[in-house]
Parts: sequence; C-alpha cells; structure tokens
Amino acid sequence: MKYLPFLLLACTAFGQVTFDRLLKADAEPHNWLTYSGSYKGWRYSGLNQINKANVKDLKLSWVYQMPVTHRVETTPLVIDGVMYLSEPPSNVVALDAATGRQYWRYRRSLPSKINVCCGQVNRGVAVSGDRVFIGTVDAHLVALNAKTGAVLWDIEVADYKSGYSVTVAPLIVKDMVITGIAGGEYGIRGFLDAYDIKTGQRRWRFWTIPGPGEKGHETWSGDAWKQGGGPTWVTGSYDAEQNLIIWGTGNPSPDWNGDVRPGDNLYSDCAIALDADTGKLKWHFQFVPHDVHDWDAVQVPVLVDTEFQGRQRKLVYWAHRGGFYYVLDRTTGKFLLGKPFATQTWANGLDANGRPMRKQGIDPTPEGVEVWPGVQGATNWYSPSYNPLTGLFYLTAWENKGLYRKGDAEYVAGNRYIGSVPKIDLEDEPGYGAIRALNPKTGERVWEHKLHTKPWSGVLSTAGKLVFAASGGWITRDRQEMEAWFYALDADSGKELWRINLGGDMSTSAITYAVNGKQMVTMAAGSAIFTFTLP
Amino acid sequence: MTRSTLLSALWLLAATAFAQQREIRNPHTTPADVAAGAKIFRGHCGECHGLKGEGGRGPSLITGVYYHGATDEDLFNNITDGIPGTSMPGVFFSGDQVWQLVSFVRSLSASKAAPPKGDIARGERIFREKGCQGCHLVRGEGGVNGPDLTLIGSQRSPEHLRRAIVAPGDKVLRDHWVAKVTLENGKSYSGFILNEDTHTLQILEQQQGLQSLTKRDFNRYSVEKTSTMPSFARQLKEDELNDLVAYLHSLERKGGSR
Ligand code: HEC
Ligand code: HEC
Repeated sequence: MKYLPFLLLACTAFGQVTFDRLLKADAEPHNWLTYSGSYKGWRYSGLNQINKANVKDLKLSWVYQMPVTHRVETTPLVIDGVMYLSEPPSNVVALDAATGRQYWRYRRSLPSKINVCCGQVNRGVAVSGDRVFIGTVDAHLVALNAKTGAVLWDIEVADYKSGYSVTVAPLIVKDMVITGIAGGEYGIRGFLDAYDIKTGQRRWRFWTIPGPGEKGHETWSGDAWKQGGGPTWVTGSYDAEQNLIIWGTGNPSPDWNGDVRPGDNLYSDCAIALDADTGKLKWHFQFVPHDVHDWDAVQVPVLVDTEFQGRQRKLVYWAHRGGFYYVLDRTTGKFLLGKPFATQTWANGLDANGRPMRKQGIDPTPEGVEVWPGVQGATNWYSPSYNPLTGLFYLTAWENKGLYRKGDAEYVAGNRYIGSVPKIDLEDEPGYGAIRALNPKTGERVWEHKLHTKPWSGVLSTAGKLVFAASGGWITRDRQEMEAWFYALDADSGKELWRINLGGDMSTSAITYAVNGKQMVTMAAGSAIFTFTLP
Repeated sequence: MTRSTLLSALWLLAATAFAQQREIRNPHTTPADVAAGAKIFRGHCGECHGLKGEGGRGPSLITGVYYHGATDEDLFNNITDGIPGTSMPGVFFSGDQVWQLVSFVRSLSASKAAPPKGDIARGERIFREKGCQGCHLVRGEGGVNGPDLTLIGSQRSPEHLRRAIVAPGDKVLRDHWVAKVTLENGKSYSGFILNEDTHTLQILEQQQGLQSLTKRDFNRYSVEKTSTMPSFARQLKEDELNDLVAYLHSLERKGGSR
C-alpha cells in the first residue's frame, strides 16, 4: 500500500495518469494509456464508433512527419487529448491528438557511435502522474515533465559501449518504471529493471542470465553466461491480482552458434513472471531451450481469465517466434496447450511439459540448413491482439523458410556477437505473410487474410469488430520490395473492409482513441504518424 | 573509452591532420590483410551485406560504387562510425582491423583494377551486328525484351558477363523474371516485374512500356523464370567474345562518387 498517498494526490487532476487509472484502463477507451492499451496485453479497444458498417468511409485526418531517418517502431500513447510518442532514435514529442500539432519536443543528444542490432529505434514511452518516460539507445532512462518536456531525471541503465541499448517502451507498475534492455546481437547479459518514478533510483534488477550461485546458472557452461544475451526488448504485461510482471526474453548470445554455451541457457527465450515489488522470479516457461535460431520470446504476453478445459483459469496466450501457439497457466507457468500456428520443420511437436521435441539436422551448419520458420520467425515482436467480443486471438504470421548458417563467434565488447550469417529471404522462395485469427482455447485457425509480403507490424482489434493490420516487406537501398497497405479487416471473417496505401515501411502496431467525441485510428508508416477518422 | 576506440580515434585524428596535405592511403593492403578483413567481414558484416558482399539487408558492396564516399579515408570512417540515420552500425575494432576491412571491401570490386582484354570499339560493333540491341537498351537506344545494359559494367563481373552471353538461362536473376498476365477483358501483357504487392503489379511491358496492373482484373497470371535470350556460344569466336565483354565492361556509372 506504499503507493496509496501518491494515488490519492494524483487522481483528481485531469491528464494525470494514476496507477488506479492504469489498472482500469478498460474504463476509459478514449485513451491509450500503455504500450498494449492495458495491462492485459490485448491491444484491444472498447471503442465502436468506427465499425464494420462504416469503416469503408474512413478518411485521413492528420499526418505528423518526423524529422528523422531511422525506422519508426513507436506506439503512441493518448491521454485526455494529448498524444505522447517517441521518435527514433530517442526523442519524445507531445501532440494535440485532434490535429497532430506539436506542443513540445524532447530531442536527445547522443554519442556519435551507438550500436543497435537493427537500427536506432524506439517502441514508445510510458506516462505516470505528470511524467513521461523514455528509454534511450545510449541505454539511459529519462523522466520528462509531461507539460513541458523538461528533463526531471536521466539515469544510466547500462553501458552502451558494450552493446546495451534501450528500445523498449517502459511499463509503469505502482510507483515504478519497468524497463527492459536490448543488445542480444552484442553479447550483453540481459535483465529487467524497476526504477522509482520520483527519483530514478533502482528498486530491483532481475538478471535474465543467472550468475554463479543463482538458480538456473547450471544451464550455462564456463563464462558464456557473461555474454549470454536474454534481452527484454518488448514491453510485457502486468497481472495486478497476483502482483506479477510477465515479460518475454530474447535469444541467447551468440545467436546462431551455440558451441560456447552448452545447456538450456536459462532464462533466454522464456516467459518470466516476477513479483512486482521484489523482482524475484515466481515462475518461468522456456519456449526453446538452447536456442540456435534466434527465436526470441519477445512477444507481448496476452493475459486472459476464462474457462479452460472445464475450469476457470488465469491464462497467458502466447504465439512464439518458433511457430507454436501456447496456453500457459498464469499462477504456475504450467504448460497447458501448444500447437503450430504456421509451418515449422524443426520439432516433432511439444512434450507434456511443452518442451519442443527437436528434430535432427536443424541446427545451423557452415554450409547452411533450411528450416521453417525463417530467421525472423513465424511471428516476431509485433503485437498480437485478443478481442473479448469475438473471443479470437489475432496475429501476424510469416510463412517462409530461412537458411541458417553457422559461423565464428568471437566476443569483442561493443561488436556484434552473432555467430553466423543467416539468410532471411531465399531469393526464389520468399514465402508470404498473413493475418490470422486463432481460437485461443484450441490453437485452431479460424481465418487467414493472405498478403503478398511479410509484415513487420502487429494488429489492433476493437469493439467495432475490426482488426487493423498492415502489409510489409523489405526495404534495401537499391530495391524496394515492400508494400504499405494499412487495412481494416472484419474481425469475424478476416474479410477486407477498407485499405489505404501509406507508402512507407510499417514496423509497429496501430492504436485507437477518441478526442472531441470522435474515434481516431493511428498508425506509423515511413517517418510519419497517420491518423484516420470518419468524416 | 576502450583501447580499440582510443586507437581508432587516434588514427582518425592523425588521418584528419594528414588529410590537409595528402590523400590518406590504406596502409594494410597485402593479401594477408585482405584475408584477415574477409574473416572479420564474415562475422560482422555479411549478415547485412551478404557473405560475399552481394547485398541483403545492406547494399551490395561489389559494384565499386559508394554513395557515402569512395576514398580509403571515407571507407575507413564509414566502417568505423557507421552511417548515421541508417541501420549501418559502427564497429569497435582497432584501426588496423578496420583498414583490413577496407582492403577486403575494395577486393570485392577489384575486377575494376584489371579490365578484361578485348577491344571496346570492336565489341560495340559486334553488339550492334549480332542484334543484341533488339532486346537490350544501352543509353536509351534499343529494345526492352532484355534488361537495360547501360550500367552493366558497374554491376557485374567480366566472368558473369561472359557466362550471360554463352550460357543464358543458367541462373536467371529475380530482376529478370517475366510476368505473363491475361486480364478478364482478354488483354495480355508480358514484361519484367518491377514491383508487386497484394493488390497490384508493376511491369516494364515489352511493347507498352511502364504498366501498373490491378490484380482484381486478372484472369491468368504466371511468372516465367527462364531466359528468352538465345545462346551466342556458337556465333562468336573467342576474340569476338572478349571484345563484347570488354565493351559491356566499359558501360559503367559516370559521375557520382567513385
Ligand atoms: C545491420 C546491418 C549492417 C551491418 C551489420 C553492416 N552494414 Fe554496412 N551498411 C548497412 C546499410 C543499411 C548501409 C547503407 C546505408 C545507406 O546508404 O542507406 C550500409 C552501408 C555500408 C557502406 C557504405 C556503402 C556506400 O555506398 O557508401 C560500407 C562501406 C559498409 N556498409 C561496410 C560495412 C562493413 C565493412 C561492415 C562490417 C564491419 C558492415 N557494413 C556492417 C547495413 C549494415
Ligand atoms: C531475344 C532477346 C535477346 C537478345 C537478342 C539478346 N539478349 Fe541478352 N538478355 C535477354 C534477356 C531476356 C535477358 C535476361 C535473362 C537472362 O539473364 O538470361 C538477357 C540478359 C543478358 C545479360 C545479363 C544481364 C544481367 O543483368 O546480368 C547480358 C550481359 C546480355 N543479355 C548480353 C547480351 C548480348 C551481348 C547480346 C548479343 C550478343 C544479347 N544479350 C542478346 C534477351 C536478349
């Protein structure tokens, strides 16, 4: 009850986000308060002004152009008419959510050389009270005043010169900011951190790669744990009833050469559940023990309480990068169900505990081995969505194979430590992408919306029985093999109801909110934020 | 600051000071340096640029054309610091290692240094006489049944050019796959695929030029991955082939940073 006075103080002021408001985010669907819209990780909105009947009339309302060239992966937040969003590499902007006009902008000054795996990106901010929080590519965590953008505190989370960076959107829990870390391609030692909202002081750190004497350390050999990876680069969920933070962890390092790290390599590729007050591990579930394919478990955990196999249960739904969909018990982490949601050729299924029964000959070799799914997985970090009205689980899926090659892995601090050169796309067989709906209680596919390219964006679903999704592709300097359709699909059937070509790379998931009584839908494409509404 | 960044910082400092007088030259260019550079490249660069520098998520490095500067010093700086605003990262290697990388990157387009033997002017004549131009554009003249060859010398190695002439169809590049489309209304199209998405197809049609088609209107759509270019193996003597290759090799990018 430590947070109660703070709560009482703050809950009256307009625009002030209290913990209580975050707990009851569903009660104010006109706002988008956290990365996934609510603690449950659903990326679902109760708004239905835009619905199946009228979505065909959806029109552009405003565009905000970012004066930056890095890839945009941000999920904006909207609080009482103000939109807060991050711009890559590590800037923050506050906009009028009705017009897209800028209020203020925080521009971070950065060292000249920063190494992030896949571009200097940022996935969003968190807001608590009158503070906005952003993690930076030079691995700091910064608190800004929500009215002016002035810096309140700025602390170092880790040393960016050793390949650590923060790209994840933070999550507010009680009076703490929770942040993960990126750097799985640079041989970092992963962790999840909690900081005091007021002071920036660290409350706890959970190392995702246990050190000597800690439980799980026995799943490593020699000194490999020191550069063991296990980053935490996508925002997790919070189970308030059990006071558990549930978060996904990434690949062990080096990615594609496991020779230096015999063992299961806990807690890489795991769902972890931590006590929010202490950061102590309550349970874990490892999707891929000793991963050598870079199949991070950095998906957003989808928390649902429902009847399952005859009794009421607290569940986590999870479609993992390796191609299997899982149902876990949220009180124990126990595996309840697993089923492929896309083509996979690496496992003969899962055993009774959910451990994959690996096939022979699927590990990377110097010449290369073809395995489904490919290097980017059957899905990746882009958000899935759960819609309580349809009872369906929606996700972006890739149907493709990759060529997994094993190479040398020599650790030099700050440099890449990946152990290979895998091929994402096989020229002649690029595969395809799809938006899919699953029955989350069985893993059975209900519908598929096929796309020519493989999207890098997630899905949003709404009470208007709509799924907003996008197509994707791959941009190289010499060739643009991409498409940029933003869609509204029928949440029941997957049928296309509306689409528009936004002409730029879409690497995030949409949000929706309402301002002045009008529902708006926002999606980032290229270097811009596009917002749509009904005329 | 790590030892290696300090070293490379010193190098740069020295390099900049020196640059005022004279162009900076790569001091590590022996075959052993190239080999050492190749090893680092495989572990740290091939992920994006392809194992042989052929390109992937990052651009191809085999053309010898650099958009961010082409002097040794430019390459050194771009590799050390990365390229701001893009996913090209910097590295924390010693200056010596970066120079070895520069040597390796240069070696990827080294065929530039030793042009194929053959007479360029004669090659150009043969190109016209053998009817190559009926299918290929060179600087705006010719047909579009084959790829535009205006810059082919910057894009392909002499060995590739030779193979393309005597054994076409060995491996048809994706850029040269041909879309065959028949619409519901009976109209048909045939041309190289320039772009494609879920709903549309953009092609260079053999008779009608640039065409953007809507898949909703399609009756039939197939992609042909075979070559329509006849083999010239029998029609060309060895020295004629050399002349042709020398001519094609001379067709390269003019202007820009080389
Ligand atoms: C994460 C992907 C990635 C990695 C790893 C990477 N590069 Fe790049 N590189 C790029 C991209 C993307 C560009 C193109 C930037 C642009 O022009 O938009 C580039 C550009 C370059 C250029 C400049 C080309 C020009 O036209 O001027 C050079 C040289 C280069 N890279 C060399 C290297 C070397 C050497 C390494 C390894 C030490 C490396 N790169 C590692 C992605 C990468
Ligand atoms: C009937 C049309 C036709 C004629 C005549 C023809 N070509 Fe081609 N050529 C093509 C097509 C189609 C391709 C692309 C498919 C392939 O790679 O084989 C091609 C490919 C090539 C390429 C490879 C281009 C690349 O990007 O790698 C070269 C070089 C070439 N032709 C040279 C010639 C020369 C020299 C001649 C005359 C001796 C010639 N062609 C005559 C149709 C033709």
